[in-house]
Amino acid sequence: MNHSSAKWNRHGYLFITPFILGFLVFGLYPVFNTLALSFTDTTIMSGEASFIGLKNFQRLFADDFFMKAVRNTWMIWILNFIPQIGIAMLLSIWYTSARLRIKAVGVWRAIFYLPNLLMPAAVARLFFSLFSFYGPVNQFAVQAGILSEAMHFLQDVTATRGLVVFIQWWMWFGQTIIIIMAGMTAIPIHLYEAAMVDGASGMQMFRRITLPLLKPILIFIFVTSLVGGMQMFDIPYMLTDGRGSPVYSIMTNNILMYSKFSSSKGHLGAASSVGVLNFIMTTLCALGIFYFLRDKE
Amino acid sequence: MKSMYKLQTNLLRVIVYASSVILLVVTLVPIWLLLVNATRSTTEIQQSLSILPSVHLVENYRILLSKGIDMLHGISNSMFVAVGSTLVTVYFSLLTAYGIVVYDFKGKQLFSNFVIVLVMIPMQLSIIGFYQYMSKLGLTDTYASLILPLIANAGGVFFGKQYLESMVITELIDAARIDGASEIGIFHRIMLPMAVPGAVTLGIFAFVAAWNNFFNAFILITSFDKYTLPMLVKTLRGDVYRTEYGAIYLGLAITIVPILIVYAIFSRYIVSGIAMGAIKE
Repeated sequence: MNHSSAKWNRHGYLFITPFILGFLVFGLYPVFNTLALSFTDTTIMSGEASFIGLKNFQRLFADDFFMKAVRNTWMIWILNFIPQIGIAMLLSIWYTSARLRIKAVGVWRAIFYLPNLLMPAAVARLFFSLFSFYGPVNQFAVQAGILSEAMHFLQDVTATRGLVVFIQWWMWFGQTIIIIMAGMTAIPIHLYEAAMVDGASGMQMFRRITLPLLKPILIFIFVTSLVGGMQMFDIPYMLTDGRGSPVYSIMTNNILMYSKFSSSKGHLGAASSVGVLNFIMTTLCALGIFYFLRDKE
Repeated sequence: MKSMYKLQTNLLRVIVYASSVILLVVTLVPIWLLLVNATRSTTEIQQSLSILPSVHLVENYRILLSKGIDMLHGISNSMFVAVGSTLVTVYFSLLTAYGIVVYDFKGKQLFSNFVIVLVMIPMQLSIIGFYQYMSKLGLTDTYASLILPLIANAGGVFFGKQYLESMVITELIDAARIDGASEIGIFHRIMLPMAVPGAVTLGIFAFVAAWNNFFNAFILITSFDKYTLPMLVKTLRGDVYRTEYGAIYLGLAITIVPILIVYAIFSRYIVSGIAMGAIKE
């Protein structure tokens, strides 16, 4: 970029040094420390700890909780991601359509984005109140005759899982619309004009022009949503008792990690092993998606 | 034929507007009920559903205070963490991004790719190792443990890079060098003032993220006096408050209202910023 100023280029190292130091001290070292802890029986109270090899990991696979947490986390993420991307895609097509010329698009999507900014802990607590036995949802449903009597939503496995999925969707579909629309409006209009001259249908244009050019953005949404979804904590933790009730149906990986950490002894070793496995699983999936789906050049 | 096309277009428009209105209601009703119920008494809330506010706002706040929940104290704690996080994120992200955008050094591409990979890696999962490390350093239960890691904020650097690439003017830098300005001086006195719109956008995201952050604070902060708002929200779940619906709604509303105000003022910055963080070049 700066051909005239080659002699200044060494200064670049000075500018990135704080980041690198910060990363080593607050990013990389904790990762190694977590890995190291996962091979020990360290607790919060104990001063010394002993190396116990893979015992923490063996215990995780021996009881049913870990696999249950992994299954719950994936299920909740997938069930929220499909409608999230589907609805966002449909609305983006409608909102950018030259044929429909929808009014106040900026206002619609600004409102749909709003829930994303709210504190997840407060949102979960809000939905707990709204769906409680004496809460507004039961009041409305009974008055409107949808339910014959008030229901204990948060004691029902399907209803509780469904609620977590809904809250996740509610908080993220607006952001997905904004990103997809930005990607769609960045596609050069002359591509569509040329296709129209050739007599292409709307569906053909979508499949041959829009989708391929949108691919990098869809990968971005896919990967960031997956990474966030695998770390899901605030909403399932705050919605019920903090242990994934009813019957551990919304216990996610991070809830399991936290419950080991906050157990009476504070098992740092066992909690770390959950973090390590989740870290490996998430990173492999994220990088895998990124490498397999991106354009090979 | 032509009128058929027009009819179809209009029909589709009706479907689009109807769907938008439904989504609008779904988006706003929970937030509206939260704000309304914060002003209603527990008896009113239990008796009937209402979409109109009542007059028990102050009474609900008194109930919170009487239960030992001082939301104002929580706000000032959260404000401290969020402002500190914002300043650290904005300054160091732009500093790093400036280094990548302006200079051509060996390993620059590698570093730039590394930042993108970091965005995709779930660093939060090393929180247990981070906790133990901080407790050895005596930094648990301090706000420093929440703020300092943001010196290396990969998402912030990625955003800063996208932004600076669109606005850095090489001639201006060269002119300043001829005038004898130092490299860091150029960044401070010329680039930062020019980058204010980008800094504001990045700052809003950093602020909201810190304001809403529950997990890290929950693990690292232990003394009640230092609780941030999301941690106070957690204590609202305890049995003592289970029957004080009006007070609970008010406590939740207090965490959300500042964000609503920020969004009402800066929504343009925010919406354009989301797209910038996602789209490459």
